[in-house]
Formats: sequence, C-alpha cells, structure tokens
Amino acid sequence: MPAGIRRRDFLKRAGLLAVAVPGVATVLDACASVVPTAKARILRVGWTIEPDTMNPLTTYSTEAVEVLQLVYDQLMHYDLELKPEAGLATSWTYSSDAKSITYTLRSATWHDGKPFTSADAKFTFDLIKSSKASQYYQWVQSLVSTEAPNATTLVLHFSEPQAFNPGLAVPIIPQHIWTGMTGAQIQKFANSHPIGTGPYKFVKWVKGTSIEIQRNESWWGTKPAASKVSWILFQNEDVMAQGLKTGAVDICPEIPPTIWKGLAGAQHVQTVSLPSFSFHHIGINVSDNPKSGGNPLLKDRAVRLALSYAVDRQQLVNVALDGLGTPGSTLLPVGFGEWHQDITESQQFNADPQKAKAVLTAAGYIDRNGSGVRTSKDGKPLSFRLIAIQSTSVDVAAAQLFRDACAKVGIQLKLTLLDANSLGGTVYNAHTPNWDIFVWGWDAGVYDPDYMLGIPLCNQIGSNNDVYYCNRHYDQLYNEQSVTIDHAARLAFVHEAQQYYYDAAAYIIMWYQDKLQGYRTDTWKGWQRVNGGMVLNFTRDNYLKVRPV
Amino acid sequence: MVRPVVASAHVPGPDEGPVPNVAAEPVKRGQLRAVWQYVWHDRLGRIGVIAFVLVVIFALAGPLIFPFNSAAVANTSAGVLLGPSRRNWLGTDELGRDVFREFLSAAHISLEVGLAATAISMILGAVIGIVAGYYGRWVDNMLMRLTDFFLVLPQIPLVIALAAFFGQSLGIIILVIGMTGWPTTARIVRSQTLSLRERQFITRVRSLGTSDARILRVHILPNVMPLIFANTVLVIGGAILAEATLSFLGLGDPVQVSWGTMLHSAFAAGAIGRGAWWYFIPPGLGIVVVVLAFTLTGHAIDQALNPRLRGSR
Amino acid sequence: MARLRYLGRKIAWLAITLYGVVTFNFVLFHVLPGNPVQLLVRSGHLTQQAQAAITRVYGLDHSLIVQYLIYLRDLLRGQLGLSYTFREPVSTLLGQYLGNTVLLLAAATLLTIAMGVLVGVIAANRRGGRYDSTTVTASVIGWSLPTFWTGLILVFVFGVWLHAFPIFGSQTPNAVYSSFWVRYEDIAAHLFLPTLTLVVVNIAQFVLVARVSVIEVLAEDFMLTARAKGLARRRILWSHAVRNALLPIVTSSALLIGLVVSGAIEVETVFSWPGMGRLVYNSVLNRDYPVIEGAFLVFAIVVLLVNFASDLLYQALDPRVREA
Repeated sequence: MPAGIRRRDFLKRAGLLAVAVPGVATVLDACASVVPTAKARILRVGWTIEPDTMNPLTTYSTEAVEVLQLVYDQLMHYDLELKPEAGLATSWTYSSDAKSITYTLRSATWHDGKPFTSADAKFTFDLIKSSKASQYYQWVQSLVSTEAPNATTLVLHFSEPQAFNPGLAVPIIPQHIWTGMTGAQIQKFANSHPIGTGPYKFVKWVKGTSIEIQRNESWWGTKPAASKVSWILFQNEDVMAQGLKTGAVDICPEIPPTIWKGLAGAQHVQTVSLPSFSFHHIGINVSDNPKSGGNPLLKDRAVRLALSYAVDRQQLVNVALDGLGTPGSTLLPVGFGEWHQDITESQQFNADPQKAKAVLTAAGYIDRNGSGVRTSKDGKPLSFRLIAIQSTSVDVAAAQLFRDACAKVGIQLKLTLLDANSLGGTVYNAHTPNWDIFVWGWDAGVYDPDYMLGIPLCNQIGSNNDVYYCNRHYDQLYNEQSVTIDHAARLAFVHEAQQYYYDAAAYIIMWYQDKLQGYRTDTWKGWQRVNGGMVLNFTRDNYLKVRPV
Repeated sequence: MVRPVVASAHVPGPDEGPVPNVAAEPVKRGQLRAVWQYVWHDRLGRIGVIAFVLVVIFALAGPLIFPFNSAAVANTSAGVLLGPSRRNWLGTDELGRDVFREFLSAAHISLEVGLAATAISMILGAVIGIVAGYYGRWVDNMLMRLTDFFLVLPQIPLVIALAAFFGQSLGIIILVIGMTGWPTTARIVRSQTLSLRERQFITRVRSLGTSDARILRVHILPNVMPLIFANTVLVIGGAILAEATLSFLGLGDPVQVSWGTMLHSAFAAGAIGRGAWWYFIPPGLGIVVVVLAFTLTGHAIDQALNPRLRGSR
Repeated sequence: MARLRYLGRKIAWLAITLYGVVTFNFVLFHVLPGNPVQLLVRSGHLTQQAQAAITRVYGLDHSLIVQYLIYLRDLLRGQLGLSYTFREPVSTLLGQYLGNTVLLLAAATLLTIAMGVLVGVIAANRRGGRYDSTTVTASVIGWSLPTFWTGLILVFVFGVWLHAFPIFGSQTPNAVYSSFWVRYEDIAAHLFLPTLTLVVVNIAQFVLVARVSVIEVLAEDFMLTARAKGLARRRILWSHAVRNALLPIVTSSALLIGLVVSGAIEVETVFSWPGMGRLVYNSVLNRDYPVIEGAFLVFAIVVLLVNFASDLLYQALDPRVREA
C-alpha cells in the first residue's frame, strides 16, 4: 500500500522560517485589570505556523492535526511509548487471514450531546473511501467494505493484509453533521465549529492570533487537568522563545537550533532534544523519462557514489544544525528505533573524499583540461545544478557546504536558491523534470515504516517519488513488508529495503535532525519525553497527562 | 516601499500644470561651481558629502583590502557567532565567517544594487517625464495613466513572481526597485518640463520652426538635468532602503550578501536571542549612514538649485 | 460644467487604471510555476482522481482565459474566491485581518501627520535655533532608518530595558477584560510600538514640508502688514501659514498612505501584528492566489482612491493650478 509523507508542513515551515526577528523579553502587561484567565489551568502552546483549516478531511497541516486530535477521537491512539492504546475502540482483532479487523467500540457522546455509535465509525470510513480526497485516503485504499453489525462493533474488510492498522490514523467524525455532503461541498466546508468525541471541545480560532479549546466534561476517559488548551501564534521563533522565557507560553514544540541553545539555562525553562522522524536529504534526479532535462551523467551510479562520499555528514550536522542531530544514512530515521537500518561506519558512503576521487577516476572521469572539474570520456563535465529552498537556512548552509565539498573532488555544483513552492513545482514536475540535484527533507506522517519506505516506489513517480527512482526489486521488497504481519519477518524486509535503496545512492540523507522543544518547569509537570516530540507528535497523551505544579 | 523624496516641498500631482513656484532658470555657466560652493558651505551638506566620500572609499577599497570568502565556513559549531576578537574584529556569523569582511563586501553589494536600481528608475522617470511634459495632451495622458499604474505595483509579489522563474538574484531586486521607483521621478520631471515649455524662449524658438528633438536636447534637457541630478542622489537612498527591506524579508540574493541579507541571516539564526549584537547592529548602522549621506547631500544640492528652498536654513 | 466633465474623465481613468491593475494582478500570479493544489495534494498523498476533483472545485482546470473571466465575474459580485490555504472565502479572511491593519495604519498616519506638522510649525517659528536644527536633523535621520530595523531597536529599548510595552500580537492572549476600556487599553499598549516605528520613520516628510511652508509665509510681505496692524503672531502663523502648508501636506499625505500600506508588512512582521501585511506575505509563500489577488486589490484600491482624492483636493484648494 503506497504511503506518503507529510511534506507540506515542511514547505510551510520552510516558507515561514525566514523572518525571525528579535523580540527580546516579551512583556505581559502587569496591569491588574487585564487578567489572563487563571493561567495555571490553561495549557498554552507557542508556535509559529498556523493550521490551515479545522476540517479533518481537507487539512494537510500538522498543526491542524495537533489541534484536531484533541477534539476528535480515533479508534486507537498512540500512547507515550508510541504503542497502540484504546481509543473509541476498546479492543480490536484481526481475522485469520489478516484481511479484516473487528473493533469493539465503547459508548461515548458527541460534543453536541448526541450519542456515538458504530454507525458514525462506519460512516467515517465509508466517506473517506468514497470521497477519495483527504490525507487519510491512503489508509483505506484497499478497503473493500465496512460493517456495523451492532451499535458497538465495527468491521473493516480489506483486499490485503494490513500491517498498519488504520484505526491509529483516522479521526472519527459525526454522521449527523457530515452526512449528505458531496465531495465538492466537503472541500469548501470550513468546519469552523468541529464536533467530535474528544477530551476537548473546540472554542474558537482567532486567525493570526490563537486557538482555544476547553475540556469536555463528559469525555469517556480520565479527564485531563488542563481546563483549557490554547495555541498562540508567533510570527517568528525568536519572539516565541522569549515568550517561553517570560512565561507567556508553557511549551514550544518546535525551536530552531541556535535559538534552542540560547534557551539553555533560562530560569524555569527546560529544553529537550528528542530523536525525530524526519530527515533532510540531497536528492539526485535519476529519471528514466526521455523527456527529462536532468543531467544524464547522474544516472551513473559511480557519480552518485562519489557525491555521497564527498560530503561529511557530521560536519553538516555540526555547522548547519549546530550539532543538534545525527548524521544520516538510511531511509528510516533513528527515531524509528529498531526499524532503522544501521549501517556500520566503514560501510557507509560517507566522508571519504579520497574514495570519491578513486571511484570517479576508475569510472573514467578525470580532469582532462586542468579546470578542476572532471569530465567524462566524451568530454562532458561533472557540472550539475543544485537547488535548495532559500528560506530553510539549514538547507542553505548544507547546500553551500555540499557544493564546497564536491569542488574538492572535482565535481562542480551551481547553487540556485528558490522559494518553497517553486522548488516543489520544479521537482514534482514528473513529465518534464528539469533539475539535477536538490536539497530538501521529509517528515513521517505516521509511526510506521510504511510511510518512508513508500517514497521510492515506481507508482509514486509523479507523486511522492521526488527523484523518480524505479526498481522492481525494491517495489517487491516494499510490498512484502506491507503485508507481513509477523514482526520479525517484517523487520527483516524493512531492513533489506532500506539497504537496497541506500546502495542505489539516489538519496544522500544528510541528517536526522533532533526535535528541539522547550517547556516551563513552574507551570505544568509530568511532561514525558517521547521520540518525535512531547507534543506535535503522533501521540496526544502528554496533553492529557500533565498536571499543574 | 519607495519613500517619497523628502527635500521636495511638493511632489506634483499628475494633472497639475507647471508648478508655479519652482524656479526654472535656464542653465548658466558656472552653475555647477555655484552648487558645489553652496553644498560645501552648508553644514549638513558638508557632512553629507564627507560621509558620501567615506562610504564610497569603504565600499570600493574595503573588499579589496579585506576580501570576504563566502565559502570559508567553520567546521564545528564552536566557531559560530563568536564575539569580536583580535582575529575577527566584528566577530563571526552563523556559519563562522568573519563579520567585518562580510560587512565590507555587503557594503559594496548594497551600494551596487542601490545605484543600479536608481539608474533604471531615473532614466525611465526622466524620459517618461520629459516626453509627457513636452508633448502634452494624449501622450501626457497615456503616460500619466501608466505612471498611476506603476505607482501601485507592490514590490514583494513582483520579486517573488520573478524569482519563481529565474531564482532569487540581485538582478531581480534591481529590476523591481527600478520598475517601481520611476513614477515619482517622472512626475517631478514632467512638472518641470511643463513649466519650461511655457517659458517665453521656448515658445519663440518653436515658432521659428526648430525641431522638437533639437529643442529637447538643447533647451529642455540641460534645464531639467540639475533637478534630475538632485533627485537622483535622493532616490539612491530610497533604493538602498528598499533593497535592505526586500532582502530582510528573505527575497534577496543569499549568495551575494548585502546588508539586508546579513540582517535576514542574523535573525534567522537567532542572533538576537544570543545577543550577537556585532552581527545585526553594524549592517543596520551602515544602511543608516549611507542613506543619510545621500539624503543630506541631495537635500543640499536641491537647495542649491532652488534658491527658494534655500531661505529655510 | 467643465468641472463635471473633468471629474467624469478622471473617474473614467481611475476605473481604467483599476481594471489594468486587476488584470495585471491576475496574470502575474497565474503564470508563476508551482501550483498550490498540486503541492498540497502531493504531501497529502492523493490519487489522480482526488487531485482532479480538488482542481475542479477551485476552477483550476479551466483555461487561463476562462479562469480570468470567472474571476472578473465573481469580482463584480463582491466575491473574491476561496483561499487555498484556509479554504474559506477570501473576503471573510481579509475582513478578519483588515481591521487590525486599518487600526495600525490609521493610528500611524494620523499621528505622523499631526505630530509632523506640529513639530515643523514650531521649528519654523523658532527658526535657526536649537530646536529647529535638532528636529530637522532628527527627522532626516529617522527617514534614513530602515523600518524593520527601527522596529527591532524599539523592541530592544522598550521591551528589554524599560519593560514598558508588549512586543507581539495585538492583544494579550487568553485575556479576560473587565470592561471595554480595559480592552482598548490593552490593544493600545500593543499598538504603541508598531505605530511609533512607522511614525519615526515617516515623520520627516511632514516636518520639513510644514517647516518650509511656514517659513515661506512668515517671510511674506503681508505678514509685516498684519503685524503692524497688531495681530498676534500666533494667530497669523496658524491661519496663514498652515493654509499655505495645506497643499503640500495633502500630497504628502497621499504618498504617506501608499507607503504606510506597504510598510505595514515590515512592521507587522517585526511585531507579530496580525494584519494584512503578514497575511499577504504568508499567502505569497503558500501560493494562495485568491488571497494574494484579493489583498493586492484592496491595497491598490486604497492607494488609487487616496491619490485620486488628494488630487481632487489639491485642485479644489489651489486655484492657481491649471489643467495640463
């Protein structure tokens, strides 16, 4: 089952990272007549990117999901160890052929008072399947039919065994509100007052300023301590960090490296660095499309190997990320734990300019005219176009370092910086791609290897497969792992797939950046560290479990 | 984003006739010398000229004496955002490069962009203004409508649009600032031209049958030149400010670093949070000094040319 | 009669310019590479059919000409389309942000003009003295400051040293106000620094203009006569000098508004002020065409109208000015 990754939040982030202006100490008016509501009971989160919409079927932003996951429940949720826990489904079982899943549902109430039944759950999956237009559609692509034999049971029938349980990803929406809407109507539906069954009810969204939700007193689970949760939008990270320092917010889920370091030692502020599910990479155009404008020399694996050997990923981490990351190698970031394929340092195509030169010379690329740039046997120079997103400063730094490193082994790179959308448009043009090498990144959308492994598939060319890599053997490995339920067997396939793709060297994964967050120690306690972040992650449990100090 | 020219007490509207109060004397010999004398003796004018000269020396000689190597990045994070030291007079930036050299190199770039953009906008503005003012009637009307249109063009979307095709570069910034800067000049020049056109000696010469081209070249142009010149010096300041703003908002050329780009990088790297004042105060001060230099000089020249303004000292 | 015809012609030209702006606007944003829906769906991982469905909903499957005509038709109905990012009507979105920007701009414009004129008049009155040279120098220095940089410095000074004013947003988040006035006070506190930035940077024009005008008037012959007659200097100053200054002030004001509208982006960015400048900037980065077109249209209309009004006002005030 093909999978995708949430890239667009990447773009949004990239697009808005640019203007970080210094705020220094924020001032919260000490004037007694302005009373921020009993601060201790509101959990305030600070961020710099706003959600796009409150409609779960049309949102593509991580920030929107962050809010919506507290308003809507799923059948199952991730707990603080990223293991499945009960949500609206108290238990779930697979059929013997693993093609059907039966969920036992609990009783719950919608925020408008109406009761939740299996009809709502069935409706949700049916709607997502039929409307085909949401980020959740990828989980129901092989969904054949749904059944709700009684008010507390839901059965999903698939055409293939499902290694990933879609109950972990899909928010359950109320039938009585969404029924009767056509696809076009869903697209235009703002859903400005979302009704869910979740631990919090939606209050308001003041665009450009903040979002507020308040506790659902009739929630089925253990009620959270925060009576309200509020997300406050800052235009730039510096002011946001100052907000953390002065207590305007309680937690900031995404802080850039330099600013994060500046927060160390601030009074009542704890900074954390957690492994993330993201990486930044250098992508090489390996398209077989005859209309491709990419440099054909890049289809020679020797050249790609040399590019990989030329660069020192640790240096990139040190300079671009200020040391706050891990040098990259395979497709699944280290945050994925055992799923990540670990390659020993000596086996990695990394930080060995001598090797790079040797590989190039052996393949016949030498400096024939003393210009410092190697040429092929028929005189074509190893000169390529490199593009990166101008507003992602870490990518810009990395691109410059990469360019300089390649110059040392005789490869010339011409760097052009584009805005996020132009780069996306250039790269995603699969019909006539006209680029050579880019610097970009990926975030995983779900805690499952399926996502990342699903990028370099042949059927993803024109979609997520940004380097147009196509290989039957790889596709086979991917298919195997997506239908293998047995954990050990699946693990083996996942590792093999990563190794295979690594050897192709179409991606040079530079680093797995750390998720840098900070929180106040004098307002809320009980923050659990989780791979991928305490908040703005796949689990919402930190919101539910923290207690006031 | 183009600031109005401060010195002119009045920027003529599009439908106005010749501005009655602007002295449009025919050019006399020795006027250049007279202007210079005035500017030098005026206190602010002198400060402006001195600053102007210093800035030019800095921008030209600086990068030659202290060349900036944009590829000389640090290998570890220890060299990043360090304070001023004997080795790095203005400390290091977020990639570990020497800020002092970067500052000088950026001075060069900022001035280059300012001058190039001004050249475009002045030439366009002067040509359009003269043609509109001289030929009048429907030509004037069409050109003034064109001026209105360009007056409302915002710079940011234009830069982004062009950058989407060609990638962000200095050329685009120069082009956009030039294209959005000429309307004000055009109006001022047009007004002056109108006023000249009505003067007796022009009417006489026309009735003698002299060709338009000759009149423009011999009579109109030399008389408009001083105004254009004064205006140019002032417009440069606005162009430099515009470039700084566009670069600060992330639309500049990150490879060829200007002061605006330095400020942008400083903030993106959280230099403020780190208190790295050496990185973001100098470029800002640089901009202020340069713009002041041009403004004061231009203001003084304007007064030298318009004795009416002179009385206000 | 001639006046009316003249007015009619001017309005016609205004309409034509506006039309040109609208068309240029549309063309500019639709020839750019990078389709937001395309980008949006890639990361959401949708099938071809789903992408096609979304493209249809937004009308992006039509040819450019048809899209243009639809755009014009909707415009006449007062609809500005649907935002790609927020999927809400653009007019609603603009409405939410416009109020904040209007507040900021109105405050900045009024204060700049009022304070600038006041300072200029006083300076002219005390011409040659220390007040005069100080204020003139200060205004010119102010003019040379980049707006965004000034904002930063103010953030430093008032935020860190004096702790006197808030430096982000338009209101204290999650605040509960005990009364109307308290709310306005909070907003005013947040408004102070952004407004101050715009005033400092733009005041020079008015100081100098007012100053020059007043000096001219003071030097006029009739002033001697009036004083000989015993009229108070101050009254003379205000009734004649300010009237003399009115014309250039009107034109400068028109220019100011155009400036401040575009300068709003810098200030809104520095101070996280939730206004249209910020909306436009983010929308351009996200290729949210409908929002950009809508916002740009509003900007353009404002600037055009203001210029138009100031031209008319100028005509009305100064009988000496002839038509071209």
